[in-house]
Amino acid sequence: MRNTSADKHPMFNRRNLFGATAAGLAASSLAACATSGSDGDDQEVTVGEDAENPFGVDPKAPLDVVIFDGGFGNEYAVAHQAIYNRAFPDAKIEHTATQAIAETQQPRFAEGKPADVLDNSGAQQIPMDALVSDGELAELTPLLEAPSYDDPNVTVLDTLREGVLNAGTFNGKVYALNYVFNAWTIWYDAKLFRDKGWTPPTTWDEMLALCPKIQAAGVAPWTYAGQHPVYLYDMFLMLAGRHGGVQVLKDIDNLKDGAWGHESVALAAEAMHGLGAAGYLLDGSAGIDHIQSQTAFNNNEAAFLPCGSWLPNEQKAIAPEGFEYAPMGVPPLEGSVQPGLISAGGDEPFVVPKNATNLAGAYEYLRIMLSQEGSQIFGDTVQATTVVKGVALDNEAAKMTDALVSNPDDMFQPQFRYWYTKMNEEVRPALGQLINAETTPEEFIARMQTVADETAADDTIEKFTHDE
Amino acid sequence: MKHGRYPFILSFLALPVGLYAWLVILPFAQAFQISLTDWSGSSNSFEYIGFDNYVNLFKDERLVLPALRHTGIILVVLPVVTIALGLFFAFMLNLGGRVRRGRIEGVRGARFHKVVYFFPQVLSVAIIGILWKQVYAPENFGGLITGALTAVGLPAPVNGFLADKRLVLAAVIAVLVWSAVGFYLVFFSSAMASIPRDLYEAAVIDGAGRVPMFFKITLPLLWDSVQTAWIYLSIVALDVFVLIYMMTPERGGPDAASEVVGGVIWKYAFNHGEQAFASALGVVLFFAALSLAVVSLRFGRRERIEF
Repeated sequence: MRNTSADKHPMFNRRNLFGATAAGLAASSLAACATSGSDGDDQEVTVGEDAENPFGVDPKAPLDVVIFDGGFGNEYAVAHQAIYNRAFPDAKIEHTATQAIAETQQPRFAEGKPADVLDNSGAQQIPMDALVSDGELAELTPLLEAPSYDDPNVTVLDTLREGVLNAGTFNGKVYALNYVFNAWTIWYDAKLFRDKGWTPPTTWDEMLALCPKIQAAGVAPWTYAGQHPVYLYDMFLMLAGRHGGVQVLKDIDNLKDGAWGHESVALAAEAMHGLGAAGYLLDGSAGIDHIQSQTAFNNNEAAFLPCGSWLPNEQKAIAPEGFEYAPMGVPPLEGSVQPGLISAGGDEPFVVPKNATNLAGAYEYLRIMLSQEGSQIFGDTVQATTVVKGVALDNEAAKMTDALVSNPDDMFQPQFRYWYTKMNEEVRPALGQLINAETTPEEFIARMQTVADETAADDTIEKFTHDE
Repeated sequence: MKHGRYPFILSFLALPVGLYAWLVILPFAQAFQISLTDWSGSSNSFEYIGFDNYVNLFKDERLVLPALRHTGIILVVLPVVTIALGLFFAFMLNLGGRVRRGRIEGVRGARFHKVVYFFPQVLSVAIIGILWKQVYAPENFGGLITGALTAVGLPAPVNGFLADKRLVLAAVIAVLVWSAVGFYLVFFSSAMASIPRDLYEAAVIDGAGRVPMFFKITLPLLWDSVQTAWIYLSIVALDVFVLIYMMTPERGGPDAASEVVGGVIWKYAFNHGEQAFASALGVVLFFAALSLAVVSLRFGRRERIEF
């Protein structure tokens, strides 16, 4: 930019200025582009001989941990990090606790600089199907094959409860460690039932027979978090799966042709529809959130509430005196072939990004989480079970849940909601409409079969299947 | 000394223009680039797939098409209702009262009304969302309107206004109008204050009523302000994301009955892991906003009246 030329011909006429800006734009867009991050060299972590440090963690390497700061808080993670620092005092741990997982962590994946350990949970989780099909996650095989923290002769895999890896398994490969053990059940107040002389129903028909009696006592039979119909998902699917056997649900997950047309699915849809049609829902249920529905349940305004195992602990501080949270499986329909089927297993997925800077440290951190000490810390701080065997909780609801999930063959977590975001977005509103009798069971089934067929036909969506 | 002028001006412009280019133009350009790919948002690999995203946009019966419909409805209803109410209230407050000694006055307590109407403007959108969510709640969960309706023996939606597919969009638009009308009342009021009083007084002497006065004098002289209000409100209408996010079940429900374009962009970007698709919708919204502004400025142009 010489001054002399500017003297004679004004250099910055409008056209030149535009050209210069455009050139600058082009240059900076190459440099600053959100999509221009680069993949680091793929590292491999193998399991070594040293049982103290099987992954060969660099003791000085910093570790970046992101925790979903939801119902479980993040205190337990701070305690886990203290254990990590006990073994590696020089490692600096970056601890982030947030609820906005997708908003804060997705850009880091795009940049190629993700966290080392990510608790990808909550309403703002990054869709697992996207992460897996983009190849952004590290397989957890080294972790599972490594010696456990407490006993070098037992692998990490053998310390886990049965069936808890299913939820994090995509086409046979484990990409997520679901840390919390959870069962979806129907909850009732055992004390209320005792006082009123109601027997907890063991079949759907018994439940329907009980409903008028419940109503006569001035209590609504059912409520749920209408603003989040996802609470109905496992209730509905278990109703169908109990009737027709677990294969019905596997077929749905595997996008088998006509899976939604199965007789058991139709019966389950009819049963759900019947609750709303008969007026068995607490007035206003469709318009309330989970806090309001749980409060109504605590106040004995409704007798049954579908929810996960975390309910009693979540309500601990606000539960009314004498309230006895008791879980049961959804009462099975007449003629159910697998009445013990229950949606239980791992929840709260922890993942290790493939491009994590400290991959070995990430595996080690998960190994610590799965140690007896690590999982006892979690159990003590949040009163919930982890997926590790042998960590007992001293509360009645946890024992009752344990009794419901005693048979591993009856444990199954329906997956299509996690595998296919599009189907997740469809099943939630559809169930909400169904239980409020705003659509017919036939419309509901047609709607779900359509989205399943569309998903199956869409080549851009990576498909997952259950092992047979 | 002409030769020193351009570098001098440029030195002032460089920073703002640079910032604008970097923070506004560049992201827009990038959104366009991303919209031509299949980028999920959580990796750094993607492929260019041409205009597939744009084609698929208009096939999406679940979210995009309802969202375009609802945004379209808001785009028409919000400016019309807000401007109509704003003008009406402003007119009443300034000229709606009695004629005293040949002068027209506003209704009694006009200054007080002005302040009260302005209140919602002071609240942040998030607070407005939470507030109205409770106002619209089901009756047995403390809903104000449902409770009031039942108290006077009128039918009320049993699950509240926001859980009803037929009412949810209207309920959200009502909140938008409620929160905007105060500002436009003040805005139009001050514009009306600049209209010479003698015009009205002449009209009063000629025996004109309030209605002809409004349409023959006030509205034509306020045309510029109305046009500005229209553009502002249209921009608000294109982005009602926050209220939808705060108030409605499933952030756009029930069953997509209140999806808007902004919310669907967010859903695709962060819930579905389809950043590229979201970007395509963002580009569509960008051009819609741009053409809206151009059209309303072109066709709204009228002869200016000097006074």
